[in-house]
Amino acid sequence: MGELLQYAKRRADSLRGDNVTKTTYDAKPGTHLQLWLLVFAVVFPIAVAVIVSTKQTGVVTSLGDLLPGSYAVENYREALVDYQFGRFMWNSLAMSVVIVVGKLVVSVFAAMAIVYYRVPYKDLVFLFILFTLLLPVPVRFIPLFQLMNDLGWSNTILAITVPYIASATTVFILRQHFLSIPTSIVETAKLDGVGPLRFMLFVLIPMSKGVLVGVSIIMFVYAWNQYLWPLIIIDSEANQVAQVGLQLLQGDVQGGQLSWSLVMAGSTLTLLPPLLLMIVFRKPLLETFSIQQK
Amino acid sequence: MSTREIFDSRIQSGLLLLPTLLVSVVFLYYPTALAVRTSFFDSSFGQGDEFVALENYVTLLTDPGYHSSLLLSILFAAVVVVGVIAVSLYLTFLIHEVDTGQGLYLISVIWPYALPPAVGALVFLFIAHPTLGVLTGPIEAVGVDVNWFNNGPQAFVVVALAAIWKQIGYNVIFMIAAMNNVPNTLTETAELDGVTGLRRLVSVYVPIMTPTLFFLVIINTIYAFFSTFAFVDLLTSGGPSNATNILIFDLYQEGFSFFNFGVASAKSVVLFLLVGVLMFVQFRVTDEYSYYGA
Repeated sequence: MGELLQYAKRRADSLRGDNVTKTTYDAKPGTHLQLWLLVFAVVFPIAVAVIVSTKQTGVVTSLGDLLPGSYAVENYREALVDYQFGRFMWNSLAMSVVIVVGKLVVSVFAAMAIVYYRVPYKDLVFLFILFTLLLPVPVRFIPLFQLMNDLGWSNTILAITVPYIASATTVFILRQHFLSIPTSIVETAKLDGVGPLRFMLFVLIPMSKGVLVGVSIIMFVYAWNQYLWPLIIIDSEANQVAQVGLQLLQGDVQGGQLSWSLVMAGSTLTLLPPLLLMIVFRKPLLETFSIQQK
Repeated sequence: MSTREIFDSRIQSGLLLLPTLLVSVVFLYYPTALAVRTSFFDSSFGQGDEFVALENYVTLLTDPGYHSSLLLSILFAAVVVVGVIAVSLYLTFLIHEVDTGQGLYLISVIWPYALPPAVGALVFLFIAHPTLGVLTGPIEAVGVDVNWFNNGPQAFVVVALAAIWKQIGYNVIFMIAAMNNVPNTLTETAELDGVTGLRRLVSVYVPIMTPTLFFLVIINTIYAFFSTFAFVDLLTSGGPSNATNILIFDLYQEGFSFFNFGVASAKSVVLFLLVGVLMFVQFRVTDEYSYYGA
């Protein structure tokens, strides 16, 4: 009985937050050691790729061969110029920027209509947009291929951008964010007689900067990393994107015409844009993710 | 009554919604309808269609190759989901436990979110290559004969490891947010009760994080089924002897190696139903948990 009372008292104390010494969990060096090992495992494959991209032949058969070489400039130049990676990267960038800007504009419009307009059936329209979550590219690339042939869009930038412009995820995130903007601000704008265009440009967008940056990063990473659809619909090297460019390099290296160091240079180049964006904008990115889950 | 619905022009709201709706109808809904239609036809590339009713679905029902591809996909998804959740949860716990260097640890394990699957695949192909791989020597020293170009189970493991590696970042992003939301008082109470280390993770954090974990199980399942195409395509091409021929790769081959658009469309419809079931389950369970205010 006494034990139980003590237990209850301890509980109550700790819930109130007094008489409790702040426990420091950092005392265990083992935690840091484990973290170091796991971080090493997560980073190791890419570290190998970057190191190999600086070597002459890229033959690394033992851990002892993992010292950087002196062929970095040579390899990256060869990948970018001789193996057209400059061109592939440019095409990927064009595709990603068109998708990000297009999605952003179109989704801000749609979310604004859904949140700030009193019109009938708008819940139904929102559901109609949300339902497209059930129709990801893998479910419809076969008919989409036929449709692109009928439209004559195959092998063009239209084919790899326009189908991505409508985005249920982006409309959803923006709607959630718009709903968190205080009504008092919205009503003030109304009393001041602000029209829809000025409302969007001078109230909505300034109040949504973080989320707009966050969704832009999510959309860029998604667009840049697309592999299956460009593989199917783009069939000339001049219009190909970096992801599929890697597949072309892989074909050459399996055929023995190319050294692994060039493939790793191409891989490193393809990784850099989304990785840098993510690191630079990690704060708005993480905040936006926390909206998405709700 | 305060309201956000400050505009009421139907024409304006219609114009704002038009781009999203137009792209959704033309490039999402119409292709899906087209897939359903084509699934009832004997349709090969460049040839006339012949109505065959349910014949394509009968083909799927009686094709042992398709059955094993379905089972393989489920097994693959199970391995990837369990692997990703376990590794990410433990990593998140360790990061949550330390005070110094938290930000640095976090960014060095969430970066694979930005990793293009094609890059991940090529890097794995290189480090685990049966003759050239830098890891091959150390693994063979333990007594395993690295031979995954010919050994089915080994190929399966390599593709699964690559897929798990890429998905760790996304999972830790959501898990760290959920774990940081666990009230400090609860952690302190658990410490006082002698619930320390891993037991605190399993019996205090995990139950509170259940909604997030469930969300991640669904997201990871969809990822394993659909977004791992590049890994299979670049690492194994579905082989050896179909050991890694998951549904999405099987569908790609049906469409673009064999040009059986009728059967491929039937397979697309099956995938659509699969996504539908997963989304429905997620929706229902999320709904249930929201009552607990989580």
